[in-house]
Amino acid sequence: MLPLPLLLTLALPVRAEPPHVFGVRPALAPLYTPISSKTPPTWKCLDGSLEIPFSAVNDDYCDCPDGSDEPGTSACPNTTFYCRNEGHLGAVIPSSRVRDGLCELECCDGSDEPEGLCLNKCEETGREYREQVEAERKLRKTGSKIRSTYIAHAQKEKKRLEKELVSIEAEIAERQAEVDKLKAHKEKTESISAATMELKKQSPLYFSLITHSKALKSFQRVHKKLKERERLLGDILTGLRDGYNPNYQDMAVLEAVRGWEAAEGLPPKGSEDDDVVVNSPAEEEELEEGAWTEGQLEWQLNDLINQDYLDLLLQHETYLESLEKPSLLHDLSSYIPDSIRPQYESVRDTLISTLQSVGLIKGGSNEVTEEANRARIAFEDAEKRLRESSENKEDTEQELGRLFSAEGFGKSGEWKKLQDVCLEKDTGEYIYEVCLFGSAKQKAKTGSHSNLGDFSHWNTQFSTDDPQYYSKQYYTGGTRCWNGPERSLTLHLSCGTENVLHSVSEPEKCEYHIVGQTPALCLPLEIEENPKVEL
Amino acid sequence: MLASTLRHVFLALCILPGAISFKPHDFKTCSQSGFCRRGRGLAERAQAADKWVSPYSVDSGSLVFSPGKDSVKATVKSSLYPHINFELELRVHEDGVVRVRMDEVNGLRKRYDEAASWSLVGEPKLSKTVQWVHEKGQIRGLIGEIKDLEALISFSPLRVALIRNGREEVVLNGQGLLHMEHFRQKTFPVAEETESGEDAEPIAGDQTVLAAAGPDTRWFEGEREDAYWEEQFGSWTDSKPKGPESFSIDINFPSHGHVYGIPQHATRLALPSTAGEEPTYSDPYRLFNADVFEYLASSPVSLYGSIPLMHAHSAESTIAVLNLVGSETWIDIQYPSESSTNTHWISESGIIDIFLLPGPTASDVFQQYARLTGTPALPAEWSLGYHQCRWNYVDSNDVRDVQKRFDEEDMPLEVLWLDIEYSKDHKYFIWDEKSFPDPVEMVQDVEAIGRKMVVIVDPHLKRTNDYPVYKKASELQVLVKPASGEGEYEGWCWSGSSSWVDFFNPASWPWWQSLFKIEGDSDEWHWSKSTEGVFIWNDMNEPSVFNGPEISMPRDNIHYGGWEHRDVHNINGMLFQNQTSKALLARSTPAKRPFVLTRSFFAGSQRFGAMWTGDNMGTWEHMAIGVPMVLSNGIAGMTFSGADVGGFFGNPDPEMLVRWYQVGIFAPFFRAHAHIDTKRREPYLLEEPHKSIVRKFLKLRYAMLPVWYTAFREASVTGVPILRPQYVVLPKDKNGFAIDDQYYIGKGLLVKPVVAPGVSQISVYLGEDQVYYNYFDHQVYRGSAHGSNVSVPAALDQIPLLRRGGSIIATKERPRRSSPLMKNDPFTLTIALSNTGYAEGELYLDAGDDFSYQSGEIVWRRFTAEVFKSAKALSIRNADMVPGHQNDAVDGVSLTNYDRENAFARSIKDVRVERIALLGLPWKPKGVKSQAGVELDWTYAAGVASTGTKEGTASVLVIKNPPVTITGTWAITIQE
Repeated sequence: MLPLPLLLTLALPVRAEPPHVFGVRPALAPLYTPISSKTPPTWKCLDGSLEIPFSAVNDDYCDCPDGSDEPGTSACPNTTFYCRNEGHLGAVIPSSRVRDGLCELECCDGSDEPEGLCLNKCEETGREYREQVEAERKLRKTGSKIRSTYIAHAQKEKKRLEKELVSIEAEIAERQAEVDKLKAHKEKTESISAATMELKKQSPLYFSLITHSKALKSFQRVHKKLKERERLLGDILTGLRDGYNPNYQDMAVLEAVRGWEAAEGLPPKGSEDDDVVVNSPAEEEELEEGAWTEGQLEWQLNDLINQDYLDLLLQHETYLESLEKPSLLHDLSSYIPDSIRPQYESVRDTLISTLQSVGLIKGGSNEVTEEANRARIAFEDAEKRLRESSENKEDTEQELGRLFSAEGFGKSGEWKKLQDVCLEKDTGEYIYEVCLFGSAKQKAKTGSHSNLGDFSHWNTQFSTDDPQYYSKQYYTGGTRCWNGPERSLTLHLSCGTENVLHSVSEPEKCEYHIVGQTPALCLPLEIEENPKVEL
Repeated sequence: MLASTLRHVFLALCILPGAISFKPHDFKTCSQSGFCRRGRGLAERAQAADKWVSPYSVDSGSLVFSPGKDSVKATVKSSLYPHINFELELRVHEDGVVRVRMDEVNGLRKRYDEAASWSLVGEPKLSKTVQWVHEKGQIRGLIGEIKDLEALISFSPLRVALIRNGREEVVLNGQGLLHMEHFRQKTFPVAEETESGEDAEPIAGDQTVLAAAGPDTRWFEGEREDAYWEEQFGSWTDSKPKGPESFSIDINFPSHGHVYGIPQHATRLALPSTAGEEPTYSDPYRLFNADVFEYLASSPVSLYGSIPLMHAHSAESTIAVLNLVGSETWIDIQYPSESSTNTHWISESGIIDIFLLPGPTASDVFQQYARLTGTPALPAEWSLGYHQCRWNYVDSNDVRDVQKRFDEEDMPLEVLWLDIEYSKDHKYFIWDEKSFPDPVEMVQDVEAIGRKMVVIVDPHLKRTNDYPVYKKASELQVLVKPASGEGEYEGWCWSGSSSWVDFFNPASWPWWQSLFKIEGDSDEWHWSKSTEGVFIWNDMNEPSVFNGPEISMPRDNIHYGGWEHRDVHNINGMLFQNQTSKALLARSTPAKRPFVLTRSFFAGSQRFGAMWTGDNMGTWEHMAIGVPMVLSNGIAGMTFSGADVGGFFGNPDPEMLVRWYQVGIFAPFFRAHAHIDTKRREPYLLEEPHKSIVRKFLKLRYAMLPVWYTAFREASVTGVPILRPQYVVLPKDKNGFAIDDQYYIGKGLLVKPVVAPGVSQISVYLGEDQVYYNYFDHQVYRGSAHGSNVSVPAALDQIPLLRRGGSIIATKERPRRSSPLMKNDPFTLTIALSNTGYAEGELYLDAGDDFSYQSGEIVWRRFTAEVFKSAKALSIRNADMVPGHQNDAVDGVSLTNYDRENAFARSIKDVRVERIALLGLPWKPKGVKSQAGVELDWTYAAGVASTGTKEGTASVLVIKNPPVTITGTWAITIQE
C-alpha cells in the first residue's frame, strides 16, 4: 500500500514556466525553442537526429532517440527531470521517478508529480539545508583550526628531523674516520697473522666446532620453522574452533574442532566457559642434568651459535699453553716464595722477551693472532656503529619523506600528529582499536584478539589532490579467517572536531568497515571541498 | 622460503574446502540403501531369468464394483505368501485419470496411506460413465465419451494397462517387478547347533522356516534377508521397528521415447538413462528431500524437493504418471528403443497409489495434474519483480544503504531479503537488537518505495526456554519425537541444539498461524515487530539436520499419528510452507496474497508459493543446469521457480554475473543471493559496461511484468507452466523433444539464455513453420516444419529473445523503482504478425496483492490483429476476454456476476496505450484510423513482411499515442 498523498489546498507547486520547458535545466531552456519557420513549428532533438513537431515536446510520448523531447515526463527512459525547487536549490532526478506517485525528497516543490499530489516544501527544505550547511561550516571552521595545529606540528617535526639529520651526518663522518683507522690497523695485524691463523684452523677441534655450529644453526632453523608452522596450525585450528559454523554440515570440521579441543585441553565449544583453558599447563618434563630448558633454547641458543669461533680457538690455545707451561722457566713462580715473586716475574719477563727476540725460544704465535683478532673485533664494532648511524639516517630521511607526501602523512603533513594515535570503539562484544598508520585490532572481551591489518594506503581511487583521497584508510594483511580471507579494515573518515570512531560493521566476512571523524579532514573554509558541478 | 611454505599451507587449507564440494559419503547410493538394493536386486534377477512371471495375481472371483461403477476392488495374492492378502483398487476419475491403489489388508500393521490426503487438493471426482467389460482373465474399463480410453486389468499375472485407441500408453507390472513387502514378525536366527528345540520355536511369519514349508521365495526376494530389521549408514543406525515394508513396481511406456519430470535433480529435462545398456548414470534417480551441500551439476542424486510425477511424451501423445508416495523413492529409467521407455520405482514404505494421467496433450496433462494436486497459486504481482538477497545484510542501515544504492543507480528493486543473521542466536522472529534495533522502521523505509521485505523463518527451534516459540511448541507437544515416541527429538542446526515442529500435528496449525499476527493476543507471543510488508522464506525444511543421517532426521523419528519419519519424509517440507502461507493469509484483513519461498517441496507445494533450486554454485555449469531444473520443476507444477542469480557459492566474474542476470530475468522467480563467504555483488557494484547492461535487463524484466503476470493467471487456472519446454509447445516436432536450453515464456516469446563465456552468436532452434522476430532489433528469422537452426546475436549486452509470429504482448516501457509505482503507466502493444498475417495475445490485470480478483475485479483483455483481404485493411482490436470465459478466468470460482466496470477496472480506466508497434506488415499503410475514423499519428519503416520467405529487418509500423485505453474495447484500422 503506497502512502496516500495528502490532498491539501495549501502550498501547491507553482508551475509558472511554459509547458515545453517543464523539467528542463535553466541552462538548457533556450534549446527548447521552436523552429518557427515551419508550419506547424518543429523542433530538433538535441542530438540532431530527428525533427519533430514542436507540439511533441513534453507530450508524454518519447519521439527522440536521445529522449530529449520529454524533459518533463517519464516517457523517455534513462533521461533526467529538473525540479526548480524555488526557495531551495534545483535538483535533477531520473525520469523514472516522474509521476510515479511518490513525492521525491529531491523535488521539494513537488513538480515531479501531478499538481495537488505533493506539498511544496521548498521553504522548509531550503531553510533546513541552509542550517545544515551552516552547521557544517562551523564544524569545519573549528576542525580546521585543530588541523592547522596538526600542520604546525608537522612543520616542527620537520625541523626536528632535519636537525637530527645534520647531527647524524656528523656522527657518520666521525664514525667513518674511526672505521678507516681501525681498518688499516686490522689489515696490518692480519697480514702478519693470516698464515698462522690458517694453520690453526686446521685443528680438528676447530673443524668439529664449526660443524657443530652449522648443525646447530640448521637445527635452529628447522625448529623455528616447525614452531612457526605449529603456531600457524594452532591459529588455524583456534580460528576454526572460534569461527566455524556448526552448520557447514560438515562432521569432518566438527571432528577437527573436537580433536583440537582434546589436544589443547579446551572445554567443548559452546559450553559455559568455552574460552577458558582447563588443563593447559604443559606437563613439566624431567630435564637431564644440564640440559637446556625451552626458554634457554629460545633465548640463549643464538649467543651460542653467534660466538666468534676464531676467538674461541685462540682462547683455547692460550688455555692449553697455560697448562703445558709448567716448564720451569714459565712457571717457576709457583716455587718462588711470595716475598720475592714480583722481582722474579719482572726478571723472567725480560728474559723471555729477550730470548724470544733472538729466537732462542718458540712461542708467542698466539699473541700475534690475538692481536689481529682484537683489531678485527674493534674494526667490526666500529663498522657496526657506522651502519647503525647510516640506518638511522635512512630512517630519518624516510620519515622526512613521508611527512609531506600524499602516500604518507598528507601533502601538508596534517596527519603526522595522528601517527600511532589509537582510537577505540566498544561494540559490546568486541573493542575495535585502530592505531592510525599502525595496526588495527579486534579485541574480544575475553582477552583474545585478532589483527585486522596494518596501514597500507589511502583511497587511491581518487587523485591525491581530491580531498576524498584522504577519506579512507586501508588496513590489510590481518589474521586470516577460517575458510575466509585475511582480515582487513577500511576506515571511513570525515571532518569532525575530535578523533573518534563511530561505528563498526562487517559487510563481507572478515572485511571490516569503521566510520570515524578527525579534524585532519577539516579543510579551511576558503578551500572548496566539493567543487560543485554545474547542473 | 619460510614465507612461501607458509603460503602453501594457507593455500592448501583455503582451497581444499571449496575443492571438495559435494560430499558423496554424506548421502546414500542405491547400494547403501537396503530397500533399494532389494528392489534393484529383484530387477536384476528378472533380467537374468529365462522365464520370469510375477507372483502377483488377481483373484477373479473377488471383484467388487462400487455402486457408481467408477471403481473396482479385487483381492490380490502373491504365490510366494499365500496367507497374505492384498487389495487392488482401480478408480476412474471424471477427466479420465485412472488411479491404481494397492495395500496389504489385515496385515500385522498398517501401511502409511495418508500421502494423498496432504498432496491432493481434494477428493477427485469420479467418472459416472465407465463401462466395465469382464472377460476371461481380464477386465476392461472403457472410459470417456467415445470410449477411446481403456483401463485394462489382467488377472494372472497381475498387470494394469492404460490403452488409447488400441495402443498401450502405460503398463504397470508388465515386467513383473511389482513387489509389496508384507509386514512380518522379526525372526531370530535359528542357531544350527541348537539342541533344545523349544528355544528355537519359530514365530509365525518366520521366513526361513516357512521357506521349508511354503513356496520358495528366493528366486524372487533373493537369498538373504537384506537389511530387513536394522540398517547402518555411517555412524547412524536405523532401528526399522516395522521391518521390511518397501514396494517396487515397473511402469513402462511402450510407445513413448522421452520421459521428463520427477524433480528435483540437477540433470537434463529429458531424463538420461540409469539402467539398460550404457546408462548415463549408474545410480537410479532418487527422491529423498535432502540438503545437499554444493551439489553436482549433473547427477541423479536427490535434492531439496521431490515430485513423483513423470511425463512421457511422443509425437502422438503426452501422458503422465503420479506415484503418490511420501517415503524415499528410487527410479531407474531405461530406453529399450528410441520409442519406448521402461521405468522401475522402488519406495521404502507406504501404499501403492499411482495416478495414470491419460493426456493426450501436454496441456491436458497439466490440467489433469492440477485437478489432482491443485494449480499454482496466483502470486502477488510484486513478487515477480527483482528480489535482492544475501547471507546476510548485516544491520538495518545496511538494508537501507542497499536500497539507496539501487535507487542511486536507477535499478529497479522489489524485495530486500534477510537471511538467518537477523535473528538473535538464530531464534527466528526474534530480531538481534544490536544490529536491527529498529526493524519496523527499517521495513517501513523499504515499504516507502513500494517495496517489500522477506525474512527467513526455519522449522528448527532453538531449545531454550527464553525462546517463546520453542517454549510454546514444547508446551503444546507439537514437536517431532525421537524413535522412542516420547519427548522431543533433539538435533543440531543453525540454532545449535534444536527441535522441529511437527506440522503433521493439527494442533500446531493455529499456534503457528498465531505467531505471525502483528497485533495478536497480548498474552501469547506473536510477531509484533513486523509489518504487513514482511513476507517469509522457509528454508531447511527437508528437514536439514546437521548431525543427522544424510543431513536429515533419523527415519525412525515419530510424527503425529505414530507414523515414522520414513513414511512422511518427502511430504514434511510442504506442510511447513503450507502453514506459513496460511499464517500470512490470516495475518491481514482483508487478506493479502501470501508470499512464502520454500526450499523443500512435494506434489501440491505449488498451492503455497515459490521455490528455488537451493544452494547452487557460481559456475557456468551450474548456471546452465539451472535452466532445465527450472523447466523440470515447472512441468511438475512448481512453476514459480528460479535459481539463485550469481550462484550461492563463489564469486562470479562480471561476465558470468551479467549472464546470470539474463538467465534470472527469464525465470518466474528472480532472486540474486550469495553465501556469507562471498564478496558483495549487488549489481550496482559492477563496473561499466557491466553495470549498465544489468540495469538494462533489470528494466526489461520490469517492462515485461504484464507478460509474466498474464502467464501466471493462465498457470493458476490451467496448471500450464510459465516456462514451456519445446515438447510442450511443439509436441509433434521430434527434434525438439530433448531440447532444454531454450524455452517459451507464455505463448509469444522464445528465449535461449547464454550460459557460457565468450559467446557472441548463438544458434536457436525454431521447430515450426513460423516467422520469429528478434525482440530488440526486429530481425526476422524463419523456422520450418522439420525444424531449423538460426543464428542470433548474443554478445554480452544481448539476449537471444524472439517474438513468435502470431503473438501480441503488452509491456510497460517505463520501468520504475518498484512494480507498484508502475500501476498507472501506459502500455505498449507489440504485434508480431504470423506468416499468415495474424496475431493475438492477452493481458491480465488485477489489484495484484489481494483476493478481489476472486469476486471479478479483473481486467482480462484479448488483442487481435487480422488482415481483411476484402476490405484491404488490417484491424487491431482490444476485446474483453471474460465474457465466454467466466468459468476459467480465475481459479476455482465462476465469475457469473462479472462487471466490466468493476472497481479495479475503474481504478485504471485512464491507463492508456501509448504505443502500438506492428511488425511484419507487408505493405505501407495508406492510413491508420481510429474507430471514430480519426487519422492517427504513425510512422512506418519499410522492411521484411511476415509473409513470404525473406529475411532481414521486419517492417515496423508505430502508432503514437492512439486515443485508446487498455481497458477499453476498440478497433484501429490500418488501410492498405
